[in-house]
Amino acid sequence: MAYRHFEFIEKHAWLLGILTAVMVSIGGLAEITPLFIMAQEVKPPEHVRPYDPLRLAGRDIYVREGCYLCHSQMIRALRFETQRYGSFSTADESVYDRPFQWGSKRTGPDLARAGGKYSDEWQHAHLMDPRSVVPESNMPGYPWLARAPIDADDIAARMRVLRRLGDPYTDADIASAAAALEGKTEMDALIAYLQGLGIANEPQATAGETP
Amino acid sequence: MSSGWAWWVIGLIVFNMGLTFCLFIWAPIARVPTLPDGTTGHVWAHGALREGMHRLPGWWIALSLGMFVTAFAYFLLYPGFGNFRGMLGWTSQGELATAVAANDAVLEPTLQRLAAMSVEQAAADPQAQQLGARLFVDNCAACHGRDGRGNPLLGAPDLTDGDWVYGGTAADITNSIRNGRTGVMPQWKALGDATVKNLTQYVLGLSGQTHDAQMAAAGETVFQTTCVACHGPEGKGNPLIGAPNLTDRASVYGSSAAAIEASIGNGRQGHMPAWSPRLSDSDTHLLAAYVHHLANRSDAAGR
Repeated sequence: MAYRHFEFIEKHAWLLGILTAVMVSIGGLAEITPLFIMAQEVKPPEHVRPYDPLRLAGRDIYVREGCYLCHSQMIRALRFETQRYGSFSTADESVYDRPFQWGSKRTGPDLARAGGKYSDEWQHAHLMDPRSVVPESNMPGYPWLARAPIDADDIAARMRVLRRLGDPYTDADIASAAAALEGKTEMDALIAYLQGLGIANEPQATAGETP
Repeated sequence: MSSGWAWWVIGLIVFNMGLTFCLFIWAPIARVPTLPDGTTGHVWAHGALREGMHRLPGWWIALSLGMFVTAFAYFLLYPGFGNFRGMLGWTSQGELATAVAANDAVLEPTLQRLAAMSVEQAAADPQAQQLGARLFVDNCAACHGRDGRGNPLLGAPDLTDGDWVYGGTAADITNSIRNGRTGVMPQWKALGDATVKNLTQYVLGLSGQTHDAQMAAAGETVFQTTCVACHGPEGKGNPLIGAPNLTDRASVYGSSAAAIEASIGNGRQGHMPAWSPRLSDSDTHLLAAYVHHLANRSDAAGR
């Protein structure tokens, strides 16, 4: 290489732009592409099942109301997190989450293993008015969910889309979905979703698990 | 990572690091043709600005070399170069295990000392109280409140008043925490509105509150045939099935006439989740001690 090659590159803006883009993209190609492609190969743990219709409806309400803006569902492999929330989260627990609810930005606590920690009555009272059970809470209330019936018309369509993406719903699951939502409110669905978080996918024994 | 992707990553790293390192070696010794006046001949603004020619400063070369050394050392020590695990064998799980082990080592002597104690003994131990208070705030406060005074909205009992729905011995408290409790009071709306109101007056009377004597007398006959099964002939309750004592003023769902009427008419479903296996045996022991401490502290305060 001689100086004139560099002079040529510097004096041709398009070539300079293309070669700069090539060099800048190397980091992404090395770090993102393999994980992106291999994500398709992540298999769910034995106990993790696709969401049943009520929890699926609840998951969509959770996303619609933007709960993820304050609550993550990812326990990091750090002692002060595993002590408070339980075993750290693994990627295979989230295979049925579209979109996934990971993150480390928390205004409220992490919910990855919140299922069953409190009673249904607590969840209901807390969603109606968080300050009725946690006086220092700054979470907004969601009382209208208790008055909003679930629109069951499109639940079968949602499940068919998820099946196309790879979730193992059977025809019977989809056919009975609308009936499972009969008479339920959005509050019921959201509570069912919250009470199911992490209950079936706690790793049995992990290197970093707290005793 | 499959070996194909490992080689993909290795190839990109070698290409990137190799190319940039070669440029780094070559740049300071590259011969750049210059004009007699010492400039490169690049001009701007019709020759008013000309590009001078200077050697790369020493600090820049040292800083760049430092970055290359850091990068090579990182690939040698930590995972990142394809499937090479790095000479330190570092993993995030391993780091967590180390942190947990270090924390356990600090806590172990204290926890062993406290585990050897009975719940009652631990309740009086300042270290156990400190550990228990932390666990309580993290796990129990959502329903029972940070101060343990309960929440009538949920039927979460006041833990500080020494009045127990399911019994207040160390074994009872431990059992409540470990296995949870499910309390069911059936709804008695079918008895009729008047009967429910009569019963309400009778129950008000049981706990010594002002009540309508005539209605209470009418309620008593129903109480002695129906409510007696769980709450007993004197209304003193039954801790085995979590039927509360109705003769004291402490009440899980509130002791006003309206609250009692709602309890009788609509029934109550109380649910305390089971904390095993979410909480370890040692955590449960500490919490039982803390709850015991809460109840007895208020006794000592002379309530």
